[in-house]
Amino acid sequence: MSYSLNEIEALCKCAARGSGLSWGLAEEAARATRWLVSDGLPGPEMLAALLELNDRQLVSDVAPESLSDVWFAPLGRMSPIVAGAAMSDSAARISEGESIVMQNLTQPLLVVPFAASVARQRKCRVMIAWDDVGMSTDGYTLSMQGNPRTYTTQHTHTLICSVGAAIINPLPTAFRGHLDTDSWACLSEFAGRTYAPATAQSRASGAGADLDNND
Amino acid sequence: MKTTGLSAKRHGIDRREPGHVMQLARLGSFHQSRLSFMRILTRRMQREHWTFSRPTFNIGDDGVGHAVYCAHGPTHTYSLIAFAHDLPDEQRSDRVIATAWDATFTLFDGVPTVDDIERLSHQVPLQEAGRVTETELSISRANRSVRLWEHVVACLANGQQPDQDQLTRVGYLMRTTAVYGSGKFGAADREVVETRAEFTAPFQIEMLSVFLTRTFTRDLVQHMASVSGGAHAVPLESALARIIGIGNSTGLGMAPFILNHPVLFNNWILAREEAIAKVRQIETASASEVSLFQELLHRSVISASRWHSVHPHQVIKIQQLNRDLAALDARIQHMHLSGDYPWDRLYHWATQTLSHEGQECLASLLLEPYGHLVDELVDTMSTDYDVGLHIDGVRTLANLKNDLEQVYDWALAIDWNLKENNARVWYVSKEKLEPRLGERFEEHIEDYEQPLSPGRDAALLFKAIQNWPSNTSIATFLLRHPEHRHTVRRAQMALDAPYAEIRDNTISESLVPIDMLRCKLSFFGAIHFDPRSDRWVRICLYANAPYPEELATRNADHWPYPEIEEAVACPTL
Repeated sequence: MSYSLNEIEALCKCAARGSGLSWGLAEEAARATRWLVSDGLPGPEMLAALLELNDRQLVSDVAPESLSDVWFAPLGRMSPIVAGAAMSDSAARISEGESIVMQNLTQPLLVVPFAASVARQRKCRVMIAWDDVGMSTDGYTLSMQGNPRTYTTQHTHTLICSVGAAIINPLPTAFRGHLDTDSWACLSEFAGRTYAPATAQSRASGAGADLDNND
Repeated sequence: MKTTGLSAKRHGIDRREPGHVMQLARLGSFHQSRLSFMRILTRRMQREHWTFSRPTFNIGDDGVGHAVYCAHGPTHTYSLIAFAHDLPDEQRSDRVIATAWDATFTLFDGVPTVDDIERLSHQVPLQEAGRVTETELSISRANRSVRLWEHVVACLANGQQPDQDQLTRVGYLMRTTAVYGSGKFGAADREVVETRAEFTAPFQIEMLSVFLTRTFTRDLVQHMASVSGGAHAVPLESALARIIGIGNSTGLGMAPFILNHPVLFNNWILAREEAIAKVRQIETASASEVSLFQELLHRSVISASRWHSVHPHQVIKIQQLNRDLAALDARIQHMHLSGDYPWDRLYHWATQTLSHEGQECLASLLLEPYGHLVDELVDTMSTDYDVGLHIDGVRTLANLKNDLEQVYDWALAIDWNLKENNARVWYVSKEKLEPRLGERFEEHIEDYEQPLSPGRDAALLFKAIQNWPSNTSIATFLLRHPEHRHTVRRAQMALDAPYAEIRDNTISESLVPIDMLRCKLSFFGAIHFDPRSDRWVRICLYANAPYPEELATRNADHWPYPEIEEAVACPTL
């Protein structure tokens, strides 16, 4: 089915929160997913898979142990949301010429929107490379080179992010997302954990209905 | 952040301090102004000579069917598709949990084909349970005012005009209970149309939809009167029709919006504050400017006298406003408004004398004679999607501490361990996926809490960074404390957006949620706020506005102020 970008972002935020991420990281996950969809990439599907893998996982287990040298997580697989957010927070380091190297990263495509955030903040182009994939973004558009199958790989040993090259043949902008039913259902299930079951009290007073509303 | 047209301090007169403006009691006293979204739209439509048509009015004698209203701008046409239904009285409810309405609508991008209407006839009446597509810009619904609808139909059918007092007192034939835009339920995202000039200002899609909806309700009531009265029926006189606006019932769902869109909210408040400062900085006022101010003040007195509510909170505020406007009128009789920064002197007098209602009404009135100075600020009231979202993690915790002290000083002074300061929880109900407000110490809802208490969360963050070395980077801190990420983002955002944060406790026992609703609705241009509880409010939109066919010939700007001489022939009923 076709969904608006707002619908996708709203659902992904609740889903990420429902999986145990903080609201701040859930916001990052949702915006990253939306950004990928606006480039016609399967962000929601990848986020759904990530949330299932890391369901209620202690964030520190999948977060970079340190932001110096090579980034790696204690659990042996690093979350692209947590690592990507940390990379966006460290945007100045990349624009000043430093490369950020991430090891044993889950769903590397989900890091790309954070590279775009770096590019927008620092008004530069950022290159992201893993396996045989090379991508370049100015924060708004994205060009991709390499084997398309590797774009959506579930895991990569090494991802490198650095100041990048020109954008060649950028992907066209998309205003809709087309999701398969399973991914939407998966995200909806996670999101459902953030909704409070109705009680008699919440029905009576939660939204307030003191006076007649049929006059 | 857009800063076009924003000026520096002049003559010692600056914008009002965020700590002064961003308190809920004041925000909950805001009034419509030149910068209100409805007025932005009607000014534009008049300036650009928009035309209107009604290609379809296929409503049966039973009041069921559909109609299409087209608004033709310079480059695009937009069509309101209205579906009229036969709703049993017992199903009529303004609550968001309702599943059927008297009428349902969508604003269509272009002119719909027969196939489009057929498709939408199966979706739009379902509202939240239906799906629309990227050619639909909004969906909405409305219920009849039982009080007024039957009266107007009966009068017109019997060859009489309806009672002007009743029209004025109720204010609308139908009230909308939700107008959804920005991608809701499959509709087009804002990005699809945001580059079109007519939609660059906030909420213009929704305002256009409601503008056309008002015309539909007038036409539908006329139709029903004609069906009932046949040859005896008379057309509703245009002066009486203009009194009729569109009602709106708004609940808690709107309150989180201003917390969840801090940069956008900042831009609205900043534009208004900048406009107020610009006018207060004027050294001398011309006779025509003073005259217009006085005229609109007198028209405000009329408007306030027509504002009715039975809610104790609002009853007091309306009484205060009536007293304030009388005092203001008396004041300007005795002061020279031509020179020596007249508007600043008047504003200062108001801060010493009037209630929040009167002060904010005056603040909006001050802008009226100065469209040439303040209307350009409309261009600063929107925001790009990604402004202010990133976190500068290279900054240190020492920087963050300073930021928190600057923006959240009021929150750091609150004892958050006291139950009364921490009494409420914002959550989303599973039943309707709508925001709700619950009692933290009475209900099991804390696990579902939404991040809608920036003050409490800032105080928690402030405490958390105390034991960290002050030269630690924020990025490093957030790696270990991701639970504070949302609040760090807000704090950094608020540095560049001084009016982004409500500087008040949004989970206090004494919170009055309708203050948040009123603030947002005042920017729409709503008047006559009528709270029905502390959590939902009725308002009126477009009352006294020109209808589409009148836009070219009537004032498209000052219509929120009822005219002083409304000589409407009105037979005794």
